[in-house]
Amino acid sequence: MLEGLLNIIIKEVKELVRDPKILLGMILVPLVMFPLMGFAVQTSMESAEQSIQETSIALIDQDQGPYAQNLVGNLTKFNFTITHLDDLTVDQAIAQIQDTDITNLVIIPSGFSENITGNGTATLTVYTPFEGGGGIAASAQSATITGLLYSFESMIVDERIKAGYPEANVTEILNPITLSEKSIVKGKSADVSPDVLFGLMMSQAVVMPVGVMTLLIFAMQLASTAVASEKEEKTLETLLTMPINRTTILVGKLTGSILVSIVGALAYLVGFTYYMSSYTGLMQVGAVDLAAIGLEPTLASYGIMGVSLFMALLSALALAISLSVFADDVRGAQALVGPLFILFIVPMMFSMFTDIYSLPFPLSIILLAIPFTHSMLATNVTFTGNYIGAIGGIIYMTIFTIVVLYIASRLFGTEKILTAKLKFKGFSFRKKKEQQSS
Amino acid sequence: MSVAVEAKKLVKDFGSVKALDGLNFKIEEGEIFGLIGLNGAGKTTALRITSTLLQPTSGTVTVFGRDVVKDAAEVRNLITYLPEEAGAYKNLSGFEYLRFMASFRTKDKAAIEKLVDAAAEISGLGDRLKDKVKGYSKGMKRRLLVARALMTKPKLAILDEPNSGLDVLHSVHVRTLIKRYAKEQNVTILLSSHNMLEVEYLCDRVALVNKGKVVVEGSPTELKEKHGAVNLEEVFGEVVGFA
Repeated sequence: MLEGLLNIIIKEVKELVRDPKILLGMILVPLVMFPLMGFAVQTSMESAEQSIQETSIALIDQDQGPYAQNLVGNLTKFNFTITHLDDLTVDQAIAQIQDTDITNLVIIPSGFSENITGNGTATLTVYTPFEGGGGIAASAQSATITGLLYSFESMIVDERIKAGYPEANVTEILNPITLSEKSIVKGKSADVSPDVLFGLMMSQAVVMPVGVMTLLIFAMQLASTAVASEKEEKTLETLLTMPINRTTILVGKLTGSILVSIVGALAYLVGFTYYMSSYTGLMQVGAVDLAAIGLEPTLASYGIMGVSLFMALLSALALAISLSVFADDVRGAQALVGPLFILFIVPMMFSMFTDIYSLPFPLSIILLAIPFTHSMLATNVTFTGNYIGAIGGIIYMTIFTIVVLYIASRLFGTEKILTAKLKFKGFSFRKKKEQQSS
Repeated sequence: MSVAVEAKKLVKDFGSVKALDGLNFKIEEGEIFGLIGLNGAGKTTALRITSTLLQPTSGTVTVFGRDVVKDAAEVRNLITYLPEEAGAYKNLSGFEYLRFMASFRTKDKAAIEKLVDAAAEISGLGDRLKDKVKGYSKGMKRRLLVARALMTKPKLAILDEPNSGLDVLHSVHVRTLIKRYAKEQNVTILLSSHNMLEVEYLCDRVALVNKGKVVVEGSPTELKEKHGAVNLEEVFGEVVGFA
């Protein structure tokens, strides 16, 4: 039994990994595509940084007062190239900077210094040429100049406060309240801002369900291919007449699909992680001591996640194999299995954006009735601490898996594997016995 | 001489279509027995039931005394089956395919290699067995599959249109091979064909099948004499009313 199983598994894995479509689509593309995307993001970020350093400003100083000079001095300090167009009107200046590398046109109106000195409000106008391209780099340049102008404004505010309250501390006046954010984790106070914890949870709530969904989709596609390709290549009948238990064939196919899809999902996750890491600083959670605040994954939580994922995989594969029995070829099998992906995508979306238990009762029940929801909820068990719910989910998935595996083994054990067929006619499913070949 | 296969009152319905309608035949051990008939006569269904793939609606088939439904696992140990439209795993090499198939028969590595060597000789494919099956022509693939069916010296080889898709030269090769192998290794062969001339050359006895029933049975010589015919095609026409 065991050696027969091993033969089937080795054959399945060989067949799958040697198939260029699977090798390319499931392993090489994620390994190459995501790093390429990451490279594109990094390159554009570097290009944005470069373009900030190359910011070139045109300036019309209609004021010529001390604050105008002070502002120009500040801009010069940041190594911006400044072109003075003081003799031109605004329209003339706009026409002149057309087709040049100038990134902003700053107008300092007459009366600018006088208004500031008199504790009034002065106006600064900034024009930014918009050419519809440039992406992040263009937006970064625009943000840089406005940021600088705001810091100039802060400087004036400081001056005014100092003038009015010579003895006071400007920082204290501007910040009368300092907010000290702490969290309560599992009933205990934790010296961590809830924003940091939400960030940490989001990293789990996004990456893990996406990973689970990817693994399940890969696995289902492979499993459906495993049976359908035997039909398409006309090898199934021969295999079924071999002296080997039909359940062994089923288990061999399930195992082969699991092994290859794990490699595929790992390739996807490696690529995806690399891509995410290109957004440096997006999820700064490394500094949090998880063990100190009781959020470190324990052996139990790893165990629950592992068992939950395994049950989800097994039931998804058994479901895919059972359905693919009804197809004549690989395309037919994938068409039959495709609609099932919604059973992963919907729980994934909900678990990414909300707590499924807090949804309106009917919606929550519908989502919890989908077995794969529980494997996604289990990925967050360390945070939620809902171990009972997670174990309940595993029990539910186990029952579901047993039922589906039973159906799959029944289909494999009888002639239905050769004769069952789904027919779309008159908007109804009808099982049709085989078209006789003789 | 013992009975290798016996089909009794075999009926198979596919929904409203009656593929077999009380089919009876008996094959002695070591015989080459042919089921011949038009397309749709029920030959393949009879072969699929005998090879445990389909279950009869009623009636029985036994292979060396084992019932194909109740003792399916035992029957699978005694038989090999070559479907009419069979394929091989395209991403495996010919050798890998043969090793995979041989490993269901024995766990001993040396014995597996011996079976593979036998298959290599039967197929005559030589070094091409190192290539992946997806590069094979239809004829090469069929030779590989025939070799796979015969390499294990089964008690019963069930061959559905063994020369399907082969050109004249390959047909002669495979036909000669089956005949020689059956006699040398004492393998019982149940085959189906709609090529009656081929069957006449190959088979010790034949059964003419029409509309799911055996209409006449005997050795090719007996049948020709009985019906005063030059060949089995004329016999068939005589019996089912086309001549």
